[in-house]
Amino acid sequence: MTTDHTKCDITGMVERHIMIAVDSSDNARRAVLFVGDFFGCYEGFQLTLLHIILEPEATFFSDNEARQQWLSEKQTDARKFMEDYRHILVDAGFPDDRINVRIDTMRASSVADCIIREQEEMKCCTIVIGRRGISKKEEFIFGSTSNRIIHEAKKCAVLVIE
Amino acid sequence: METSAAKDSASTYSPKQLQEMIAAFLGSDHVPKRFKIISDTSDFFRVEYNDVVILAGVPYLMRNYTREGRFGLDDEPKYWVRKAINLKKKEVKIMKFVFHEEIDAHVGEMIFKCVRSPGKEAAILDMVTGHKNFMHGVAVRDTAGNIIRILDFIRGKRLDELVYKQAENHEEFFYHHLPGYLSVYGEMVKAIQFLHEQGQKHGDIRRDHILLDRESGDYRWIDFDYDYYQEANMFGYDLFGLGNILIFLVGGGDITIQHLRAHASSFVDKLSLEDMNIIFNNRVANIQKIHPYVPDALNYILLHFSNGANLYYENTAQLLEDLAEVQIHA
Repeated sequence: MTTDHTKCDITGMVERHIMIAVDSSDNARRAVLFVGDFFGCYEGFQLTLLHIILEPEATFFSDNEARQQWLSEKQTDARKFMEDYRHILVDAGFPDDRINVRIDTMRASSVADCIIREQEEMKCCTIVIGRRGISKKEEFIFGSTSNRIIHEAKKCAVLVIE
Repeated sequence: METSAAKDSASTYSPKQLQEMIAAFLGSDHVPKRFKIISDTSDFFRVEYNDVVILAGVPYLMRNYTREGRFGLDDEPKYWVRKAINLKKKEVKIMKFVFHEEIDAHVGEMIFKCVRSPGKEAAILDMVTGHKNFMHGVAVRDTAGNIIRILDFIRGKRLDELVYKQAENHEEFFYHHLPGYLSVYGEMVKAIQFLHEQGQKHGDIRRDHILLDRESGDYRWIDFDYDYYQEANMFGYDLFGLGNILIFLVGGGDITIQHLRAHASSFVDKLSLEDMNIIFNNRVANIQKIHPYVPDALNYILLHFSNGANLYYENTAQLLEDLAEVQIHA
């Protein structure tokens, strides 16, 4: 009998599929470096680099042109840092064809909700995310993506990188 | 009678017709001799008292601008918000012109960017048509495409004006008036939940943004043109506002350190930083320490908005669930 090392027995998920949820911040970069250092030398992992562009309601913008410009700038920025992160992972030893880069534009009340939705759809067994290190007051008013994921994510492990 | 009304190309009313309509509302002695007829409100400073603004074919006689009423902005004129009279229906309205403003919102020591969005307010007005807990109105475009909001005028007092001086002392207020206000509060939180469920936020939740409509007896949220972008939780700032209102209601007004010190209160020594409002550190959030008859279930909610909190409400459903547990018995 052979063991299928692509299966993640603990979570029951389809395979050893790690999602790294990122943005342009230093802590997101640290999360990518961590995954590279920690898992880069092993085989059998599928990686998804995910960046969510949380699109505000159309009424947030003065007109559709402003909305399109906002989205275009966000996507251009995202493509740049996602390419940088992909390089880090390839340099760490992950095969290029095992790295899935996704930039999703979504509407929701929080980025965390989008990340969890994507994790459930892709059946990732682990979410890796950087922590911003915000103050209690900032978390109270603006919310914390990493805390929300810790509280809300189900059937997966969550790694929060400081 | 001679008139020098400057007629806009889009107007379908002659100055004489408008004067007759004004006379029918104000009386013939109060008809202005000179006024402008305007259908492009891009430069709202040009719109003066007694001018007539034509929107969607309806003439509005312009009256005074309104004023901001709290937080050191007392009597600050809001030139883009004007009283107006619908000359067709002879109704008083509030007219909000387009004022694209980017504001640094100060919340305690924190600052974040807010924008004033006429489109957001227009979308919500449409969304809340017939909802008793919101101001009502319509949004129309002027000839330059500006989104003008024409709001029903609400006659009535602000929530904060109602709460003050309801009773001789806090205990009397607490047992005789607070249960009613908590019921209103729950209704107002549900109204905000209604917005959130449709992806919209109020954006500027404050106790003076709730009016008691004297005619209908309903409490209504007003002024929802503020917008902001917070990707970790789009509704966090609304929840902060809801928490502040609850603390204000339970305290029967703000209970501040300054107020306690001024009255040489023995409670000052019993309070720690953890008991204070997480953002406004001079306001007591742990009100049970001041008024021990505040039940645990209610104080538990207040503590979510204190410095000592480790867990915050992320949505209105969580707040409403805890609120449903609160019972006040004399």
